[in-house]
Amino acid sequence: MPKHLVRLLILVAVLAVAAIAAKKFFTDKSYYMYGNYRGNSVAEIASDVPRFRGNEYCKSCHTKQYAEWSSSPHNSPGTGKHVKCEVCHGPVGQHPSTLPAPLNFDERLALKEGITNYQAFMPNGKLPVPKEECVQCHEAMPGRPLVQRQVMIAAHAGTEKCIACHNPHSPKINFAAVLQPPRGDASAGKAVAAACGACHGAAGVSVNPAWPNLAGQHAGYLTNSLEAFKSGTRTNAMMSGMAAGLSDTDMQNVAAYFSQAACKTSGGDKAKVDLGKIKAASCALCHGAFGISGNPVWPNLAGQNADYLSSTLKSFQNGSRKHPVMTSVAKTLSAGDVANLAAYYASVNCK
Amino acid sequence: MSNQDTKVGKEASDLPRRNFLRILGIGAACTGAMVSAGSLIAKEQVNESATAPPPPKIPNYDWNKHKWAFGIDATRCIGCLRCVEACKAENGVAQDAHHFRTWVERYVYLEGEDKPRIDSQSDPQNIAASGSEKEFRFDNRYKDAKVEKAFFVPKLCNHCTHPACVQVCPTGATYKTKDGVVLIDHSYCIGCEYCVQACPYGAREFNHVLGVTDKCTWCYHRITKGLLPACVEVCPVEARIFGDRNDPQSPISLFIRNNRVAVLKPETGNAPNVYYVGIDKDVS
Amino acid sequence: MIGTLAHAAPYVGYVYPNETDIPWGILIVIYPYITGLVAGAFIVSSLYHVFGLVQFKPVARFALLTAVSFMFFVPVPLLFHLGNPQRAFNAVLTPHWTSAMAAFSYVAGFYICLLLLEIWFAFRADIVALSKTTSGVLRTFYRVLTLGSDDVTPRSLAIDHKLAVILAMIGIPAAVGLHGYVGFIFGSVKAREWWSSDLMPVIFLLSAIISGVGLLIVLYVTYSKVRKVQVDDACMQGLARTMWAFLMVVLVLEGLELLEMFYKGLEVIGMVQRLIQGPIWFSMLIQWGGSIAVLTILTALIVFRTKGKSLVPWLTVSGLAMMVAVLAMRWNVVIGGEELSKTMKGLLTYYPLVFGRGGLLVVAIIFTCPFIVLWVNTRLLPPWEPDEKAAT
Repeated sequence: MPKHLVRLLILVAVLAVAAIAAKKFFTDKSYYMYGNYRGNSVAEIASDVPRFRGNEYCKSCHTKQYAEWSSSPHNSPGTGKHVKCEVCHGPVGQHPSTLPAPLNFDERLALKEGITNYQAFMPNGKLPVPKEECVQCHEAMPGRPLVQRQVMIAAHAGTEKCIACHNPHSPKINFAAVLQPPRGDASAGKAVAAACGACHGAAGVSVNPAWPNLAGQHAGYLTNSLEAFKSGTRTNAMMSGMAAGLSDTDMQNVAAYFSQAACKTSGGDKAKVDLGKIKAASCALCHGAFGISGNPVWPNLAGQNADYLSSTLKSFQNGSRKHPVMTSVAKTLSAGDVANLAAYYASVNCK
Repeated sequence: MSNQDTKVGKEASDLPRRNFLRILGIGAACTGAMVSAGSLIAKEQVNESATAPPPPKIPNYDWNKHKWAFGIDATRCIGCLRCVEACKAENGVAQDAHHFRTWVERYVYLEGEDKPRIDSQSDPQNIAASGSEKEFRFDNRYKDAKVEKAFFVPKLCNHCTHPACVQVCPTGATYKTKDGVVLIDHSYCIGCEYCVQACPYGAREFNHVLGVTDKCTWCYHRITKGLLPACVEVCPVEARIFGDRNDPQSPISLFIRNNRVAVLKPETGNAPNVYYVGIDKDVS
Repeated sequence: MIGTLAHAAPYVGYVYPNETDIPWGILIVIYPYITGLVAGAFIVSSLYHVFGLVQFKPVARFALLTAVSFMFFVPVPLLFHLGNPQRAFNAVLTPHWTSAMAAFSYVAGFYICLLLLEIWFAFRADIVALSKTTSGVLRTFYRVLTLGSDDVTPRSLAIDHKLAVILAMIGIPAAVGLHGYVGFIFGSVKAREWWSSDLMPVIFLLSAIISGVGLLIVLYVTYSKVRKVQVDDACMQGLARTMWAFLMVVLVLEGLELLEMFYKGLEVIGMVQRLIQGPIWFSMLIQWGGSIAVLTILTALIVFRTKGKSLVPWLTVSGLAMMVAVLAMRWNVVIGGEELSKTMKGLLTYYPLVFGRGGLLVVAIIFTCPFIVLWVNTRLLPPWEPDEKAAT
């Protein structure tokens, strides 16, 4: 055989041996262990830390909420109604620990490859309070099975929040169990309240009877009203602008401030008061027999300015303000009823 | 005869086919490759698989004892998309409207129309309704329309018995585990996206940061710890069912036994392991 | 984690949410295209080396150099496309044999070795001669290539020739296999209606050959002009006839495939129709319009036995048009298949990026490289026959 062919064959043989040796050297030891893949990767993938950890994990600390929930319709496993904690609250992760979680498979890999911006989200520390999650499941929508409880939001709630009447942990209506809005800091609210004083009075007693007194009003109602002005579900030339500049904390603080201020009964026409007192029986269910509402997100009426009360009822009548209950209630009232009721509540002692 | 029996029967009849494909693959490769190297590799494979290795080192878990399967009761789904958000949070999936391990489709038949109007949470109008690509909800766009029929269908990886994605993976970075889950070894994937093409269900997505393909694992890190997959855990209406087919009393065994179940695109021969109840002719 | 998608494909109808991130872009259009050019060029050289069609002698060795220059760049678009190119070796290390793609490195590697060997045998006498006439670095280069053997006796050259023929004979099924296999990569994807066709490998192969012949015509004419030598008439006529024959079959097969698809009228057909009228109408027009135009010109050239100065421009234009038409066909297959949603209820539209790893700029650079390498190769190993006439 010619020399060049012999050398060519040697070259090919050397390359082939090198290739086989390279395969032996570089192939991962666990490859082919179970099949044509790297056997160790199974356990590596399985080693990731779960972020959703289930009800039992929450139960150990939040016993009250767990007890409320466990006897409610939201806990009906097997029937297609099983709304566990993390459905609304999101993954619990490492909460309440503030330590970071161990890295998962992908994160370790990213680190090894020098990718620094790959840090997946793992909740820890204080978890956020869920926003209005109810509508995700309960808004009437074509495609949802009929057994699912659904409501037309506009007709059912208007601008009212779900939690005004329902406690999500135990959604059957029970006003005693309704969630309390987050409590603000009254002293911090005083600074915010300075901007309100020009109209509503520095101490929350309005300078003009056409505008509402705020002193002694429920903080929850005040917060919700400000939120409604800010989001635009309620509009008012002055208030929409005022509320737009307030943060959630500002609203809670200023509401706390006015709710703790001393209220002042404005008083009303004596003749109308007596007539109004009779008519007021139909308001008592929600606003209390003496104008002090049992639900912190519904307004107290006792001692409120008569002018303001009557203009509010009229705004429900003409539709410029909307509320699932108040709109229909207001429409049953005559002009006289409105005046009498306003006078009555204005004269009731607010203390 | 129960569904389980037919399943076992089917698998047995498929065995020769798998071996045939394997032999065909090895044969084709050997002729194509440099003959010596090729046959060495093939021999090695056979030798290694002859001995039974210990199961993967997962604490308190033996993959020989489980056979996972998934069920979807579309008649219960309310399209709240808690599953989609939970999946993204649990698995660190890209926070945009183009990468999902699971998603939900809405089928709406309007009066006088033959074909359904279909959308998923990714639809631009639904994204506009949620206000961001990090939160998902269905825009209530048909609330005033004359709807004849409408329903939601959750979708996810079918963890097929004969997965086309695994078949086409050139490196063996994606594989089927003994307990019936199709996984991806992100440290071995070269990112060619051939598997993305091969999946008839569109279940695979590409992780552009790591340069690897990603997909649903049935939350393998959860189910091997005795937990449910995240989407099943958060489904408030129990439309998602998960369990072990080796246990005749598991939720999935009962679901398959007590219902007339269907699978998606059976004609592809992939033999999916996600069983549906309450889907319609236009769902594929 | 942050969203990192550069751009999402717009769509109509319903597509699966993940489909808006289109997996294979323009890089994967250029990949089968370059592979096809290799296969075409190689077939022309084999027509001389194996089938003894002497009219192809002037381009036979040049075709080999063309094939190998383009073959070097076949893996490049793939590497650019991979999410983790540094792991590409995994597919060689632990190939998963049920995957059509796993064989790629082996098939391509085998084919490159084959091409290099064949070139070595075809050029060995020249290499030995050059190793004696050059100096410096070039001399060392040629010395290495000789493997330290100056043996150019008639006996060993006869053995070389015999081995070259054997290699060329192995090379034909290898070239056919390589490209048929690229067709198989697409044709075997049952999830994609537009790809999943038994005819795919055949159509890919035959259209590869016509694009390769087209490339060879363009290159041969250009090199002849630059070197100021006469273009060989018989060779050009032979190339024209080769292209005509293969183009004919391609058109018939592609026509049949479309006809069959529409005749069967499966569920997907409505969307196929909208695909052809919508996202890919322009490239369809280029593919079919170009092919039919080329066929018409070639038919006229063959019928009228056109020769010499009038043949060269027409055939060169045909060659170029053929290359463009086949590129359009690759686009229609690769991109068209992805634009047709797996839901069969929607259509996506792919827009290539200009910059970035998968952009037009990168593709243009990748496609320029083989021409440069070919130029270097023809300088190192001049493939031309000694009996050329100077241009008049």
